[in-house]
Amino acid sequence: MDIQHIRNFSIVAHIDHGKSTLADRMLELTGTITAREAKDQILDSMDIERERGITIKASGVTMEYERDGETYMLNLIDTPGHVDFHYEVSRALTACEGALLVVDASQGIQAQTLANAYVATEAGAEILGVINKVDLPAAQPELVAEEIEHVLGIRRNECFRISAKTGLGVKDLLDAVCDLLPPPADRRHEPARALIYDSHYDDYRGVICYVRVFSGTLKVRQKIRLMGEGSAYQVTELGKFRPDMRPVDELGTGEVGYVIANIRNLGDVHIGDTITDDARPAPDALRGYKPPMQMVFSDFYPGNNTEYPRLRAAFERLALNDASFSFIPQNSQALGFGFRCGFLGLLHMEIIQERLERENDIDVVQTAPTVSYEILLSDGTAKRIDSPSELPDRTQVQEIREPFVRLEIITTTDTIGGVMKLAESRRCKLVKTDYLSPTRVLFEYRAPLSEIVYDFYDQIKGISHGYATMDYEFTGFEAGDLVKIDILVNHTPVEALSLIVHRSNAEARGRKLIIKLRRSIPRHQFEIPLQVAIGGKIIARETIKAYRKDVTAKLYGGDVTRKMKVLKRQKEGKKRMKSIGSVEIPQEAFMSVLDTSD
Amino acid sequence: MVEYDSSLIEADRFPNRDAPLSGLAPQVGPDADRRMPDAGTVRLDATRPHASRRSDPEPDGTGLYVHVPFCRSKCRYCGFYSVPVAGRHTGRLVDCLLRELDQYDGIEFTTGYIGGGSPTALPAGQLIGLACQVAQRLVSGAEFTVECNPGQVEPGLLEGLRQAGVNRLSFGAQSFHPAELELLGRGHRAEDIRSSVDLARRVGYDNLGLDLIFALPGSSLTDWQYSVAAALDLGVQHISAYSLSFEPGTVFDAWRRSGRLSAVEEDLDRAMYDWTIERLGQAGLRQYEISNFARVGCECRHNLGYWANQPYVGIGPGAASSAGILPVSGLGVPNAGFCVGEPRGMGVPAMTADTDHGQGAQGRDGRAPSCSWAGRPCHGQGARVTNNPEIESYVIAVENGAPIPREVQPVNAADTLCETAVLNLRRRAGIDLATFARQTGHDALRTFAGPIQRYRDLGLIEVTPGAVRLTAPALPIADSILCDFAALE
Ligand SMILES: Nc1nc2c(ncn2[C@@H]2O[C@H](COP(=O)(O)OP(=O)(O)OP(=O)(O)O)[C@@H](O)[C@H]2O)c(=O)[nH]1
Ligand code: SF4
Ligand SMILES: [Mg+2]
Repeated sequence: MDIQHIRNFSIVAHIDHGKSTLADRMLELTGTITAREAKDQILDSMDIERERGITIKASGVTMEYERDGETYMLNLIDTPGHVDFHYEVSRALTACEGALLVVDASQGIQAQTLANAYVATEAGAEILGVINKVDLPAAQPELVAEEIEHVLGIRRNECFRISAKTGLGVKDLLDAVCDLLPPPADRRHEPARALIYDSHYDDYRGVICYVRVFSGTLKVRQKIRLMGEGSAYQVTELGKFRPDMRPVDELGTGEVGYVIANIRNLGDVHIGDTITDDARPAPDALRGYKPPMQMVFSDFYPGNNTEYPRLRAAFERLALNDASFSFIPQNSQALGFGFRCGFLGLLHMEIIQERLERENDIDVVQTAPTVSYEILLSDGTAKRIDSPSELPDRTQVQEIREPFVRLEIITTTDTIGGVMKLAESRRCKLVKTDYLSPTRVLFEYRAPLSEIVYDFYDQIKGISHGYATMDYEFTGFEAGDLVKIDILVNHTPVEALSLIVHRSNAEARGRKLIIKLRRSIPRHQFEIPLQVAIGGKIIARETIKAYRKDVTAKLYGGDVTRKMKVLKRQKEGKKRMKSIGSVEIPQEAFMSVLDTSD
Repeated sequence: MVEYDSSLIEADRFPNRDAPLSGLAPQVGPDADRRMPDAGTVRLDATRPHASRRSDPEPDGTGLYVHVPFCRSKCRYCGFYSVPVAGRHTGRLVDCLLRELDQYDGIEFTTGYIGGGSPTALPAGQLIGLACQVAQRLVSGAEFTVECNPGQVEPGLLEGLRQAGVNRLSFGAQSFHPAELELLGRGHRAEDIRSSVDLARRVGYDNLGLDLIFALPGSSLTDWQYSVAAALDLGVQHISAYSLSFEPGTVFDAWRRSGRLSAVEEDLDRAMYDWTIERLGQAGLRQYEISNFARVGCECRHNLGYWANQPYVGIGPGAASSAGILPVSGLGVPNAGFCVGEPRGMGVPAMTADTDHGQGAQGRDGRAPSCSWAGRPCHGQGARVTNNPEIESYVIAVENGAPIPREVQPVNAADTLCETAVLNLRRRAGIDLATFARQTGHDALRTFAGPIQRYRDLGLIEVTPGAVRLTAPALPIADSILCDFAALE
């Protein structure tokens, strides 16, 4: 295929604005999938995606399209909309020359519309504005077009008005992709360079690299080199996603596809690395990705300590398929061997945890997520910690600095009061207000990450009746009046339950926390005191009463099967618990640190 | 609760099957003559009930349980499988029980127990006849218990049972409070308990037990103390004191859900239990299991068999038999009990040759070498077999010589270890390490090292040179500890 007829583009949008549905229509129109194969959001192929109805991973697909008697090769990448998967979007865009920015005609510009528009611009992609869901009774395509022009500078008459659901306008959009988006730069004659933008592990074939070729050509049986690690492999298969994997003989400049080279060592492959020809290597690698900044950290411990090696293997595989997740070994005195994992947000954490259990069938106990802190020590040096338990002794700490973000909230004018009140109670400082339209407003705040990363989004959703959306970006660490709350269970401090909070609400948080713990830690054979200590001083106590009576009265021959089942279930209940001293602490208890509700 | 459709064994459809009680001479059904024991032999056994009592009996052998699934009326708290006796053709069922028992020909049982339901709901002649047949299958000197409902015993019945070889009676007293008996829906009065126990004594029984229930809704510690005192006044050898449990499907359970009843406070339940152990101990009734108390030597040996995880055969609808004991098929086939190996599916008695530890089902005398059949230890593979409770399908199967509908629950080596430990630990004597090793091939201290260590540190388990047992403070909360023995770590 000659390069002039190749188009690489991503579909980007705020969550639920219809990206995956638009991809469905394009796949149908181009005959990439037949009517028989068609199903809603076909590119959302992971079980979790289908169950939750959201896209988590960007996925690419190659289509062929006839335009004015000429055949075009269109490589489409559908991206996720949720803020936690932002990194997927930025990586997808580096493989593309264009982007379709989709906006829901009934909702207008939302927080991630803006965020995605910025990344697309930054990536140098040509952007086409697309107003979707015009079939909805509540659609206001003209108002939305105006907003797009006002906020994003895309002219209103250049926006495409479509319905991804009915297919209205999608053909015109495909034509525009051919006519208006640029082809890849022609670097056929340079040494081969392909960017690894994603990968996954296959038990039979090893690592499968998803690539975009920027120069030269990759061929089957060619000896390739991964420029980062320097290791060389022979290509056993090349192919394209259509959307299932179809082998081809070569991938030329501008094309998107996959490379299999029997790579068994997961450590050799890094997302963002460049594949080159081993015999005629490129002088330098492509610009990779700047590593994502993990926002929240949480420790994962195998429910059973002997599962540690399996947990490690599982994380290695997950990391190969998710470049925004990090894990490092962690050894806690109380909880044993595990990993400190970094995530882009809570949904990301939830997804990883679910994939871990589903794809690997490992029970894990997880500690409450926390943001990282920068500690200014008394000797003047600064130190990053990803867990309150790492906070050095008070005498050595000069200052605790917490991460701050630029927070953008878009909401309707009639909900401004509630949203502002909530933001204020979370120590957010208003920086700027912007009216997107007479009825919609954009706030910019400077906010402590720890205040907005957990339940804040749910709360503003509630206050705004679902209208408000938000996005945030890390800006830096700032000093605050922060203290550490320690929790003692049965007189033993449990580090995994410690948290760092602002002094103003430390006491209230501590009291609430032990009430929650009292409810979530099951009774034991002995009484368990729960205590809160701030700065080494106990400020509150709750008690979990001991079992008084828990015994099956009758157990004779005919009862054995049933009673053993009951006992086993009782034991089963202890599986996702960690024992600290002689107290078994369940998963929910660790998570109750998060819950700020009453 | 399973509703029993009486149409299949209505009395009037088989009028001649119901053998009348004539004097004290037991006669049962058409085969009675063939099976009648020699009265002398029976009397001999019955007259030496203490023949083989030991101070701390560790039974070995195989127990026999016969389930009579009828009651005069349904008690409100009762979760056992039983149906009202009125209008049933009980004789037909008794015949079936005997025919099922025939399938275990060749086993000599070391204890016998006729329970229910209410065995005393049967016409006296049928119960005596049943007892005669059961007695024939017991080794000499065996403990042989019949459960009796107070007020449902006549001199003739008790005398007949005694002559048949019954040497122990267990009375379902439950309470001595009129109001509590009323609430429980028991058909007897406190007075009936006293007169029934007196009668049993007069007939010559010297090994009597009473069942009591505590933690009844609305009851106080004083109420319970009153019932215990009344029971002690009767001078029985054995008391079982059960904390009330709300069994699914019972009237009590429904009433609790609807708020009409509520369980007593946990602290009161505990106080009642603690007091019971102390009071019965003072009265010379030693606690030997979570809910069971007896004079030394009068422990129920049949039930000790369960807690020792010894093999047992259960006869009758709903009855369970332990690992390794399963007849080859229906009637008429000479018995060949054998270890069932790992059954291929539920409800299908696995009886193919390849399940028999490779020995062939009928190989040699039909027994696999390392299996628990007839008292030999089973190192692992096996199953628990539970007859389906429906009376009609049971009767039809037995009468047609077809396999009895039953559920087969595989019991693998790990299950055996866990079950043995859990059952053993219910005894005050705990796990006898040598016996455990002989029975399972494993060292209990090593197998359960984790929980033993944990609970030892908490003072809830103690390890003596030959045994592991729960300490006194562990008893009221035993399940929270035993659950850690219910599966291997
Ligand atoms: N009425 C109408 N509904 C649409 C249209 N396009 C998408 N939807 C619906 O909007 C919902 C979200 O669609 P998706 O395609 O999953 O949205 P998405 O942008 O891929 O969502 P994420 O990947 O989670 O960010 C689904 O219920 C679609 O059926 C449209 O044109 N009209
Ligand atoms: S408690 Fe006994 S008598 Fe009452 S219904 Fe249950 S089995 Fe029958
Ligand atoms: Mg999607």
